[in-house]
Amino acid sequence: MSYTPAAHRYRRRFSAVTGAYVALIAANTGVSIAFDPPQAVLGAMAFVTALPIIGMLVVIGLYLREETDEFIRDRIVTSMLIGLGILFSVTSILGLLQFERIVGSLPVFLAFPLWCAAWGLTQGVLAVRDRRLDRPA
Amino acid sequence: MKNHLRSLRAERGWSQQELADRLEVSRQSVNAIETGRYDPSLPLAFRIADLFERAIEEIFVNPATPAA
Repeated sequence: MSYTPAAHRYRRRFSAVTGAYVALIAANTGVSIAFDPPQAVLGAMAFVTALPIIGMLVVIGLYLREETDEFIRDRIVTSMLIGLGILFSVTSILGLLQFERIVGSLPVFLAFPLWCAAWGLTQGVLAVRDRRLDRPA
Repeated sequence: MKNHLRSLRAERGWSQQELADRLEVSRQSVNAIETGRYDPSLPLAFRIADLFERAIEEIFVNPATPAA
């Protein structure tokens, strides 16, 4: 599979912010366990740990702006929208299950990774579909 | 959208990759346009028309025009 130059930049940037996120999660967990910091410090740590998520969204936005291959961009945007649809469906169902006290509370921050997973899965499905319909000549 | 891209490309003896390189898009894009799975934007349609030295409507079939 070949990647466009914009996709290469996206992968490099996304790896960097993901690495920062993992490091901050580890630091956050370690500090919380080792030092039992006060609420204000915990709040600041939670805020700082979430910043790479915003960075990831910025990286995604940059990619969409920089991707010059419109067919590839169209497929990505379509995958994102389907991923969003899956996220809204799942969270709506879970929300009503919580309302009925059938399931317990779930961490809200899981919404982003769930969207990423649904987006990635959808993009994979669309890529397979396109490969099957591909008629090289 | 139906189009004559495949035959125009064949007339020149270009592969999909060669056409993609000339248009600065991926081969997947060329394939998707040729098979009618993707309608190019107006700027890309103009680039294609310029490359083949044809008018856009000579390459892309107007979907509003009844089939002959």
